[in-house]
Amino acid sequence: MSLPTITPATEPLDTYTLNMGPQHPSTHGVLRLVLTLRGERIVKVDPVLGYGHRAHEKMAENRTYAQFLPNTSRQDYLSGMIYNFAWVEAVEKMAGITVPERALIARVILAEFNRISSHLLWIGAFLLDLGAATPFLYTFDDREAILGLLETVTGSRLTYCTGRFGGLSRDLDADFPRRAREVIAKLKARWPEIEALVEDNVIFRHRARGVGVFTRQQCLDYGVTGPCLRGSGIAYDVRKAEPYGAYPRFDFEVPTRTEGDALARYEVRVAEMVQSVRIIEQALDQLPDGPILNTDSAGIKKRLKLPAGTLYYAVESARGAYGIVIVSEGGTEPYRAKFRTPSYANLAVILDAMPGTMIADAVAILGSLDLVIPEIDR
Amino acid sequence: MPTAAELVSAWEGRGWTTAAPVEHAVSGVAESRWIAPACLADAVRAAKDAGFFLESMTCLDRLDPHGVFELLYTFNRFDATRRVALRVWSPRDAPVPSVAAIFPIAGWNEREAWEFYGIVFDGNPNLTWLLLPEGTEFRPLLKSFTTPPPSVYDGRLSPDGTPAETAAPTDESAHDHAGH
Repeated sequence: MSLPTITPATEPLDTYTLNMGPQHPSTHGVLRLVLTLRGERIVKVDPVLGYGHRAHEKMAENRTYAQFLPNTSRQDYLSGMIYNFAWVEAVEKMAGITVPERALIARVILAEFNRISSHLLWIGAFLLDLGAATPFLYTFDDREAILGLLETVTGSRLTYCTGRFGGLSRDLDADFPRRAREVIAKLKARWPEIEALVEDNVIFRHRARGVGVFTRQQCLDYGVTGPCLRGSGIAYDVRKAEPYGAYPRFDFEVPTRTEGDALARYEVRVAEMVQSVRIIEQALDQLPDGPILNTDSAGIKKRLKLPAGTLYYAVESARGAYGIVIVSEGGTEPYRAKFRTPSYANLAVILDAMPGTMIADAVAILGSLDLVIPEIDR
Repeated sequence: MPTAAELVSAWEGRGWTTAAPVEHAVSGVAESRWIAPACLADAVRAAKDAGFFLESMTCLDRLDPHGVFELLYTFNRFDATRRVALRVWSPRDAPVPSVAAIFPIAGWNEREAWEFYGIVFDGNPNLTWLLLPEGTEFRPLLKSFTTPPPSVYDGRLSPDGTPAETAAPTDESAHDHAGH
């Protein structure tokens, strides 16, 4: 096979190259950045990807729709619940499987708790990148409460696989709403403390303000989504733009900031957790009794065949717009499955946004993106 | 701002669209059109000028029986969901025009399609491996790729490419070959 020519580096001689990663603490995964520097200024950044590539898209072509379920939460291990439900909902949409009311609402509750736990981990890890170790302990304490709650429903703490075509694998027990409200009370009591500890910290504000600004044009060029986009003043959220599941019936806002810097992305994520709690509280009030799984789907889940066609299905993960493309030829396995992962575009934008910044800000910019490397590499 | 319907009618008005080569509907999108490969860059440029962003690019192996690759581009807008699908059928050995100069993110999408399928994108400034190890010569997402070729990682090849019977690789040499 003929290989295209790779353009050799033609950097001027007053620059030097710094290899950041692949085992760098701030990349939160195995990611390598080749930085070209002139003095302390970044001239060029070249991300080297693929250390976590596991061929999920090839695996999908060789598994039935149900057999692929455990792969979903291993793409983005921090919002695995949302990814798991996205696959389930995409297949349900193609197959025309209806979902009982109780399962629809329960999915929203579980997904929003998962979103909060992902944001809490990010806050702790981002502050750790900037040199503050204490907030990490605070946010992990709260995250622990959420993981414990989700474990009682799903049996897992990280790589959830509780979605089934037509509902959920297990029902929420009778005591679940009380325990969920306890976790929410704990979160609400903690927020003022984190605010005092983090947002009023002058060192944090100086490290994050004006750092890594993404313009509207850069977001359009690279397809940036999620909190990174909303920090740049664009109120795009798949839950509002293209409502799915039970989201249309809940009242919530899409927080935005206009500055586009790392501080704006922090503020958006904090405000989003408040909105997620709003959604969970409404969902707990509305949670109806009834079956958790469409009983018709119990008999077909192993031999499920989808009609021929292509589907694009989008959900809002903790990191942005997650898209699933399923191409079916009518068989029990997808002919092709493609995953449009938000971190892929959110990382690519640094090709444009990082040059010109100082090397000391590289970690702050990278940390503010909330990257999950396995979903980029898939 | 132009809607999805206005964008695709602009494509049609310029004569860039073609008839569907196969009956295969796309759902989850507002509009869907087939574009001739030669008009791909113009159609993508029109999408960008209309305020759309490149949301995803999917490549499909349709070599058996059609002898082509299918490329599915989806575009979307931040202000409201008006997803537009653009589909191209490209003969196996014909290069596809790159759209990386229009949407920089396409530079990465095209690198993926090149390494996983072997499609050459004419005009991509850096068509090299993105997710697979540098030097990978197999195309894992082709339907004809069913079993992995011999590898130093499973002990079936020595780092210089000879069968492992003559030179069993050590952990150290396997690590060197990975180049990371």
